[in-house]
Amino acid sequence: MSETVIEVENISKLYKLGKIGSGSLRKDLQYWWKSSVLKKEDPYFTAKEIQPTDNEYLWALKDVSFEVKEGEALGIIGSNGSGKSTLLKIISRIVQPTQGQVRGRGKISSILEVGTGFHFELTGRENIYISGYTLGMNKAEILRKFDEIVAFSGIEKFLDTPVKRYSSGMYVRLAFAVAAHLEPDILIVDEVLAVGDADFQRKCMGKMQDISGKNGRTILFVSHNMQAITNLCHNAIWLQEGVIKGQGLASDVVESYLSSVKQDKNEIRWDSEADAPGNEWVRMKSFLVQPLSDKNNAFITVRTPIQIEVEFWCYIDDCDINVNVILLTDTGECVFNMGSPSVEAEKGVLSLKSIIPGNLLNNGIYTLSLDVIRNVSTAIYEFSKFTTIEVEDVRENMSYFGKWPGIIRPEVKSYLNFK
Amino acid sequence: MVPAEKKLTWQIDAKSSYFDFNLPEIISYRHLLFRLVRKEFLVNYQQTLLGPLWILFQPLLTMVTYVFVFNKIIGVPIGGKTPPVLFYFTGIVLWNFFNDSFSATSKTFRDNIHIFSKVYFPRLIVPFASIITQFLRFLIQVAFLIVILAYFMVFKNLKFTVNAYIFAMPLVILVVAMISLSVGLIFSVITAKYRDLGNFIDILVRVLLFVTPVIYPLSAVKEHIRWIVQLNPLAPLFELFRLGLLGEGTVSPFYLLYSIIFMIFSLFTALLLFNKQSSKLIDVI
Repeated sequence: MSETVIEVENISKLYKLGKIGSGSLRKDLQYWWKSSVLKKEDPYFTAKEIQPTDNEYLWALKDVSFEVKEGEALGIIGSNGSGKSTLLKIISRIVQPTQGQVRGRGKISSILEVGTGFHFELTGRENIYISGYTLGMNKAEILRKFDEIVAFSGIEKFLDTPVKRYSSGMYVRLAFAVAAHLEPDILIVDEVLAVGDADFQRKCMGKMQDISGKNGRTILFVSHNMQAITNLCHNAIWLQEGVIKGQGLASDVVESYLSSVKQDKNEIRWDSEADAPGNEWVRMKSFLVQPLSDKNNAFITVRTPIQIEVEFWCYIDDCDINVNVILLTDTGECVFNMGSPSVEAEKGVLSLKSIIPGNLLNNGIYTLSLDVIRNVSTAIYEFSKFTTIEVEDVRENMSYFGKWPGIIRPEVKSYLNFK
Repeated sequence: MVPAEKKLTWQIDAKSSYFDFNLPEIISYRHLLFRLVRKEFLVNYQQTLLGPLWILFQPLLTMVTYVFVFNKIIGVPIGGKTPPVLFYFTGIVLWNFFNDSFSATSKTFRDNIHIFSKVYFPRLIVPFASIITQFLRFLIQVAFLIVILAYFMVFKNLKFTVNAYIFAMPLVILVVAMISLSVGLIFSVITAKYRDLGNFIDILVRVLLFVTPVIYPLSAVKEHIRWIVQLNPLAPLFELFRLGLLGEGTVSPFYLLYSIIFMIFSLFTALLLFNKQSSKLIDVI
């Protein structure tokens, strides 16, 4: 059993919205007089009295408790405004909690942005030192790592050029390089991978994996990139509106988080024929797009087959009828056409079911269109771009986290070996 | 059996203490301190025509203006045998040290919030770096002052003998530095909370200049209003500074002690206030 290095106990953080502070010196003095000198109950604020529904206050975090073990990589996920960054700031000692406490052991370094302590007027060399010291490195560490940092950032030639003349890519690379060479006992990282090009992001992720995997350091990692979380972290915490909504194995937590934010079903039903889109020959009755999965609340990933069900009211007979469902990329190019067999038309409800196999689409957004065809020749109704499908990414054992190139991503068998 | 759990060594609480003064931690960040000082010098004089010479030009130009306005036009009596050039330059050099240190430290939060909100380090490092930067500038100016003094002795037959008060110089410098640091720290906390008080600081400093013996000696102030100047804890320090360097000044031990007590009191207040407030202010600014 590894030992606890951070113990977060009932942390809450209250922010007052609107005007910050009580607004005037007079009120503050009054407050101070009453609370500190007369030792009366706080006249303006007692945390207990404030209800979460109170509009003036916002609990950025509410009773958050967890433990981090030595060498653990803990991911923290949640939508914007869920309190992730506030939590990291409290553990990093930047802001104080309103209630609760954090105990820990060892030196913490936090990278909450890229380029903390950088000064635009100074050269790359100066900035490596000043940023390194700001982030908590000591002199020996910087001297030892200096060449490595320069090599990692790839700015050797511009080391003595003021940073303000750097391209933004160079700046980010240098800034991350400094941060990546920190060697604290506990590293706190907030969404810094969102910068730089795909190539650099890959390099950063690799570095992060080294830090947690090979070097066995404790990492707290916030990211919106679920791939990065599941690959880097063993455990994860899901925050929502300041409370812990889920906690456990990273892959499980990520899955329940995603299924809560993604609509698992994509469905529209038209109750009255008059309102439904269509014409004198056919009208839409309903459509439903959903993943084919055993699990509840599953969402569409690159692995899952997708089932498309469409129902029409059909008003014609005496002809053959067939339906083409067309899958398009989000830019409108046709990926493929799913043609149905022809049937003899009759008045009533016509239903279509098509299944797109799993392990075919890439992650991203696709749109669906459909055509109803009479006698295999004339399109009698087009319903273009009636819905979109969002396909989530799933990757395992992969250190690449950038967007996978291509429109489709079939499962390809490849073998690579030396003869 | 599992070995006894290693102790958790640090703790973050909802309350901050007045007495949470962690000197070893500050010392462990000394390299950051030196880099910040270095940064000040590099940033201020990069892409300038005259570079670090500005450290000398600025007081020199002020001195010329003062000599012209206060000595030639208005005719403020400076008494004694000291040439006006030396008299004003001495006052300006010490005043600049106070003024620049104070205005730099009073902006600690305002100017560094972007760093303070992203990374933790002992916040006192920043005002300490400001003071050290200003102190180095001051030393350069004092060296220049000695050059001017030597010029007057060699070419203008100025009689100058080193007196015992020269040994009080380190004390004067220390007290001026600590007063500017502590008053600056107090104002850095107050102006972070109440922004409009920032305007007040500028006026305050300007008024303070006129009740400090920079452009006149204490001896030239009429007896019945002299108490106004003597109320200013900086006044005896300026007089002592001139006494040590130029051999002319009015200093009484009582007022000097008053300055030192003021320094101790304000330093205590400043450190306590800063400790208590520095982590809370991040939410406010």
